[in-house]
Amino acid sequence: MAQDVPPKASFLAVAKAVFWSFFGVRRKADYDRDSASIGPVQVIVAGIIGAVLFILTLLMVVRLVTS
Amino acid sequence: MSAVLDDHGHDHGHDDHHHGYSGIMRWITTTNHKDIGTLYLWFSFTMFMVGGVMALVIRAELFTPGLQIVNPDFFNQMTTMHGLIMVFGAIMPAFVGFANWLIPMQIGAPDMAFARMNNWSFWLLPFAGALLIISFFMPGGAPGVGWTMYAPLTVQMGIGMDFTIFAIHILGMSSIMGSINIVTTVLNMRAPGMTLMKMPLFCWTWLITAYLLIASMPVLAGAVTMTLTDRHFGTSFFNAAGGGDPVLYQHIFWFFGHPEVYIIILPAFGVISQIIPAFSRKPLFGYASMVYATASIAILSFIVWAHHMYTVGMPVTGQLFFMYATTLIAVPTAAKMFNWLATMWRGSLTFETPMLFALGFLFLFAIGGFSGLVLALAAVDIQLQDTYYVVAHFHYVMVAGALFTAFAGIYFWLPKWTGRMYNETLGKVHFWLSMIFFNMIFFVQHFLGLAGMPRRIPDYPLQFETWNKISSIGAFGFGLSQLLFLYIVVKAITSGEKAADKQWEGADSLEWTHLPSPAPYHSFETPPVVK
Repeated sequence: MAQDVPPKASFLAVAKAVFWSFFGVRRKADYDRDSASIGPVQVIVAGIIGAVLFILTLLMVVRLVTS
Repeated sequence: MSAVLDDHGHDHGHDDHHHGYSGIMRWITTTNHKDIGTLYLWFSFTMFMVGGVMALVIRAELFTPGLQIVNPDFFNQMTTMHGLIMVFGAIMPAFVGFANWLIPMQIGAPDMAFARMNNWSFWLLPFAGALLIISFFMPGGAPGVGWTMYAPLTVQMGIGMDFTIFAIHILGMSSIMGSINIVTTVLNMRAPGMTLMKMPLFCWTWLITAYLLIASMPVLAGAVTMTLTDRHFGTSFFNAAGGGDPVLYQHIFWFFGHPEVYIIILPAFGVISQIIPAFSRKPLFGYASMVYATASIAILSFIVWAHHMYTVGMPVTGQLFFMYATTLIAVPTAAKMFNWLATMWRGSLTFETPMLFALGFLFLFAIGGFSGLVLALAAVDIQLQDTYYVVAHFHYVMVAGALFTAFAGIYFWLPKWTGRMYNETLGKVHFWLSMIFFNMIFFVQHFLGLAGMPRRIPDYPLQFETWNKISSIGAFGFGLSQLLFLYIVVKAITSGEKAADKQWEGADSLEWTHLPSPAPYHSFETPPVVK
């Protein structure tokens, strides 16, 4: 763990990490930074928010297609 | 707790001894994760043989058109019990067996967190299995409702249905206790320095699978309990005559059923992720992305269930939602496939039996995954629903995905478990026989399904005869090949060559690097140092 990494990641950084996790890949350097700065609670909360957003996006697309 | 706290073992040179009972009582009272892992694996193999015989009855009946061997009612009982026994009795316990054997060793723990509960988790299983089998001897026989146990048929079945419901309850309890054990062990008992992101991927896939089990098994328990009260206590959850809704059952069942598919396949992904790097002599490509992909597959698995139900009546918006969600699961799954291929890329590959089964898995699981995508498309699925195309698809996932992986894992870890090597030539013969006969059974079923042959029928029109004959011959070949597997394993245990501590050059998890072969009865009483 590098010392210059901030102890807590910003909301945006967590959101970005979760987005990439849905895709299933992550750049090594970004991953190293994430794993040093993002805590498990942050990941779980962001993951649940991400899943809800994902469902809402799908619903919107469905609406768009069927309207 | 004796297995956890026992500190006699390392005082004398032979700590393979159990210090409690001997004989059968050793196995009944054991709290040792290795003993319990062994019990799970042998139970699983026994049920695999029982379910396999049922599959052979099905294939024998389908060898030619017309009714020859069994009556249609018994045929339905066979398809139902084959499915239930293979899913709940063979595949799931096999991977719990792997988890018991490997997770403590891979994270540097002395045993599972709840050693006595572990014993109970296992010993519930034989009783559940017995209930399933006894149901054949009840008035009306075993339920012939299909492994999905759809209402309203389940409301009409004989007493065998109640046996099945209780068996499901017991199996569910066992799974939930096993999962709690795995979660607690992985989160609390890792050796110092073994951070989550340093764990072998097998432990990661099981951690996530355990959460899936805890979330989905109670849903199944709820569904079968509602069936039970519909049958005996005058409720009408699923009984249309009383104002209930049979489609409700399907929603509840598949809300469990789809995560169940990933409960079966994620530990298999974990095993593959141990074997491919070992035989490529390279670390796993994209370890972190494998963890990410596993987690996202787990989340997505909860929002795709109704793709099993496109034809039961659903608004087009529903069909589209589940279609989009299902096809998107292919993305993290493809990320995994890519990572396995990239692990092999420019690796120093050798093709021992575990690697052959792992490659067989990659090849066949890709086929099963793609046929899954075909079925995910609502417009296509409406044509293919309940045809042999679906049967072919899920056997590519369950047999080539999960079962081949279990074979791969057993060949891979047998030297560590028993201290003895299997016969490599015979192992390869087993792989090729399985590979050829598997495709003979199931690849042709794609053609049958596309041509319109429905599943779960004991008789069929003449035009389906040729492919059914090929499929049936393949089935008997596949079944007999598994006797060879039994011979190979028993031969290895009784008189195999002595295995090296690190039998596979490229294997790098703790059980290979820090423990002798066979792994001592009590390992890591003092946690290893992980850097």
